[in-house]
Amino acid sequence: MSGERDARPMLVLRDIHKFYGTNEVLKGISLEVNEGELVTFVGPSGCGKTTLLRLIGGFTDVSAGDIILDGKRVNDLPPNLRDTRICFQNYALFPHMTVAENVGYGLKINGWPKERIRARVSELLEMVELKAFGERMIDKLSGGQQQRVAFARALSLEPKVLLLDEPLSNLDANLRLVMREEIRKLQERLHITTVFVTHDQFEAMAISDRLVVMKDGLIEQVGTPIEIYERPANEFIAGFVGYVNFMDGTVSALDAAAHTASVDTPYGAFEVSLEQKDIAPGDEVLMVIRPESVTISLDCGIKRKNVVCGTLRSYMYAGSLAKCTVAIGDKKMIIDQYNPRDAQRFTHADKVEVEIPRSVHLLKKKKERPS
Amino acid sequence: MATAELSLKVQAGSGSRIKDFLNANLINILAAVLFLLLAFFLLYPIIAVLIKSVRGPAGFTLEYYRAFFAKSYYYRSLVNTLLLGAINTAVCLVIGFCLAYMTTRGPWLLRKPLKIISLVPLIAPPYLFALSLIILFGRNGLVTRMLDLHWELYGFSGVVISQTLAFIPLAYMMLESTLMSLNPNLEESAYDMGASEATILRTITIPLMAPGLLKAGLLIFVMTIAEFGNAAILGGRTPFLAPDTYTMITGESDFNMGSVLSVVLIAPCIVIFFIHNYLLEGKKFTTIGGKPVAAEPRKITPLIKVPFVLITTLAAGAIFICFAVVLAASFYKILGVTDRFVLSNYLDFTSNQAIYNSIRVSLVAAVIGAVIGVLLAYVIVRGKFFGRSFIEMASLSGFALPGTVLGIGYLLAFSAPPLQLTGGIMILALNCVFRFLAVGVEAGISKLHQIHIEIEEASADLGASFLTTFFRIVLPIMFPAFIAGFIYTFMTAIVSLSAVVFLVSPGFQLAAVKIFDAAVYGEIGIASATTIKLVLIVMGCVAILNYITKKTRLGSAMGKPAA
Ligand SMILES: Nc1ncnc2c1ncn2[C@@H]1O[C@H](COP(=O)(O)OP(=O)(O)OP(=O)(O)O)[C@@H](O)[C@H]1O
Ligand SMILES: [Mg+2]
Repeated sequence: MSGERDARPMLVLRDIHKFYGTNEVLKGISLEVNEGELVTFVGPSGCGKTTLLRLIGGFTDVSAGDIILDGKRVNDLPPNLRDTRICFQNYALFPHMTVAENVGYGLKINGWPKERIRARVSELLEMVELKAFGERMIDKLSGGQQQRVAFARALSLEPKVLLLDEPLSNLDANLRLVMREEIRKLQERLHITTVFVTHDQFEAMAISDRLVVMKDGLIEQVGTPIEIYERPANEFIAGFVGYVNFMDGTVSALDAAAHTASVDTPYGAFEVSLEQKDIAPGDEVLMVIRPESVTISLDCGIKRKNVVCGTLRSYMYAGSLAKCTVAIGDKKMIIDQYNPRDAQRFTHADKVEVEIPRSVHLLKKKKERPS
Repeated sequence: MATAELSLKVQAGSGSRIKDFLNANLINILAAVLFLLLAFFLLYPIIAVLIKSVRGPAGFTLEYYRAFFAKSYYYRSLVNTLLLGAINTAVCLVIGFCLAYMTTRGPWLLRKPLKIISLVPLIAPPYLFALSLIILFGRNGLVTRMLDLHWELYGFSGVVISQTLAFIPLAYMMLESTLMSLNPNLEESAYDMGASEATILRTITIPLMAPGLLKAGLLIFVMTIAEFGNAAILGGRTPFLAPDTYTMITGESDFNMGSVLSVVLIAPCIVIFFIHNYLLEGKKFTTIGGKPVAAEPRKITPLIKVPFVLITTLAAGAIFICFAVVLAASFYKILGVTDRFVLSNYLDFTSNQAIYNSIRVSLVAAVIGAVIGVLLAYVIVRGKFFGRSFIEMASLSGFALPGTVLGIGYLLAFSAPPLQLTGGIMILALNCVFRFLAVGVEAGISKLHQIHIEIEEASADLGASFLTTFFRIVLPIMFPAFIAGFIYTFMTAIVSLSAVVFLVSPGFQLAAVKIFDAAVYGEIGIASATTIKLVLIVMGCVAILNYITKKTRLGSAMGKPAA
């Protein structure tokens, strides 16, 4: 990560609304993206990510609200006058041009002299490691190469903000991992403000400085990957970024000095370290238990703190981890046991001991939520 | 070979062996039957024309061709025809492009109405425009008298104008589908990088559309030079090949010379057909998948907007006026000359008789055409036999063949035993079937491409025989294509003129021919009323088609009519 961030906001969205006919697709989006920052919009399909990106790029008009780019309001500027550059999901490379012509298109349009175009294009192609491919036609490239060309083309004019709409979704799984690292490295090196859209939550966490979780045209939470994953603001976000086990409970006591809370659940009492301030004794809470945070072991004898007994329902070995399903009373819990090779081996229906870590996150329950 | 081996098995085996054989080969048998039909009703007539053009009383001769090129009249006819084709194609492409651009990239509000106007001429027989030009600019035309204008309508310019109006929808449809298939993100990317609207058009849109433009241009060219009605009605003393052929046959009964003219007319068509099929093969720019999206409206710059809007408005206005004057003229003996409002044109017996005959012929054609079309589509898409691409080419080519050629061909081929058909309803119907086969076949093919072969394989896997699979799985899925083929064939058949004009017998008049005769003899009222009746029938068909499309959500089969 690029250490401390610039304070200067490069892109500001102020209460953006967007209607398609009577359908309100964006319902008030406000956000600041700082210079050099990579911010990712994640959310389920249809939540308005692409729409938001197209608004920033100028392809669609906002119904209400302001878009401020580098201190200037750009609502009324068409895309060709906005200093943003978009990379579409399908790359939108010009199929009737070579790689070099694609990368140099923007330069040519903007009246660069031939020599400078050639130099810049070769610099860009070198940057994306496609030096030898300048004369190729687009359809003679692999998916990953096309992706790089699209990226080089988008960077050619050094835009103030780079907009990437699911740039990796047409690539196969391995290539995605490689490309996302490359994109991130380049982005950090060029210190270019980037808005990234994906619906792959792991990709989002891996690549971003900050995540913006969206749902139904609204922002649910903004935060660093760590904040979003470890301290999700609500059940939807908790469930959206990775798998999660929920456990209902009631806060029975607080120890303000030690920052701990005791939570009573139908399955036993747990002691939990407390990060948030809005929790009081008597509150109904939801414990957010990540599968990988739980420790599972065979013996089930001595009662210890935060340990409950359960029955192993299934054990699925998957190399680097084993997925266990454990029944605790009437509750099924998914537990990831990492490095199963060195761990204890389980067989079906064994009694097991499950230790819930103190670090679990607590969600304060809203009233009247059907469980 | 394999067939011999199989037939041996059949002889040796029990009933189930025969069944197995049929199961395995039914599609090939079907293909063979269809091939024979195509050969007999499409290729044979054309070959008959070719033969006739080189066979004199004393056997093989090139005398008739020599005569063609010796006479400056024929030469002029050829030049006129090609020139007409070129001008018409260029104008239609420009207008079609403007319309298509506005309806795919323009403001939402304009898209629907403009699209409707662009497609409206489809419901009109092409000669409606010739008729309306006579009403407006003819010797007794409204404008001619009102403004005392002495523009000579009969001649080259009149034909160009009426042809252009008639072919706008075709140009529009083809260019619209090209524009629709163009990923809007490409243009947006260019826009994003600072390109202006005009630059985008020049560097992205038009280059990417080039294959589509060329394809549309070729087709319009072929169809224009083959078009009979407008040139025959408005040609005046200017010779064009298609009407000359007609005069040669009906006026001078010179079948040899008529055949030569046909061959000359068909030659550019064949050349173009091969360019189309081989040169343009695969010349389509593909882009990486993604969701196909309708392009969002752009802020179109005045530089583009003004000429585009001007052209589209002019075209739309002209189309509207043409319909209006024909409608008006249908209520007068001769509009502008006699000014008594009458209904007699609609009650005219010969006109109604002709309409009735047309409906009968077209119904027969539609039934046969739809059945053959669906079967052909199936065989083309699913078959794996030698000559498959030939069948595809043949069944799609009828569209681009000059109607006059198939008209003479049918006269030559079916006026004597073994199959004497002339004088009946069948020759007219069959002619329409094989000329317009492409529509049903295209609809069928596009529908079949939506069905994964796996569905059929799954059915076969469950133990269903070929026939069971065909009737239980394939046919129901193909049904919309069948309906589309039926209605399209009906619509096209009922307005078609160029081939049937050769084939009608004195006792069996068709509406299109009736209109043609009436227009030529100056019975404007009757011609207009009959045209309006045809327009109403076609509108009815369109309405039914729309209803069915909505009702069954089968739009996709009909979304792309034959190109
Ligand atoms: N041009 C348009 N006209 C009408 N509705 C639209 C248009 N574009 C998008 N929508 C609607 O806006 C909503 C948000 O669409 P958007 O494409 O922004 O979603 P998304 O978050 O990008 O989804 P995905 O993850 O599937 O790409 C959807 O309900 C969509 O149907
Ligand atoms: Mg999207």
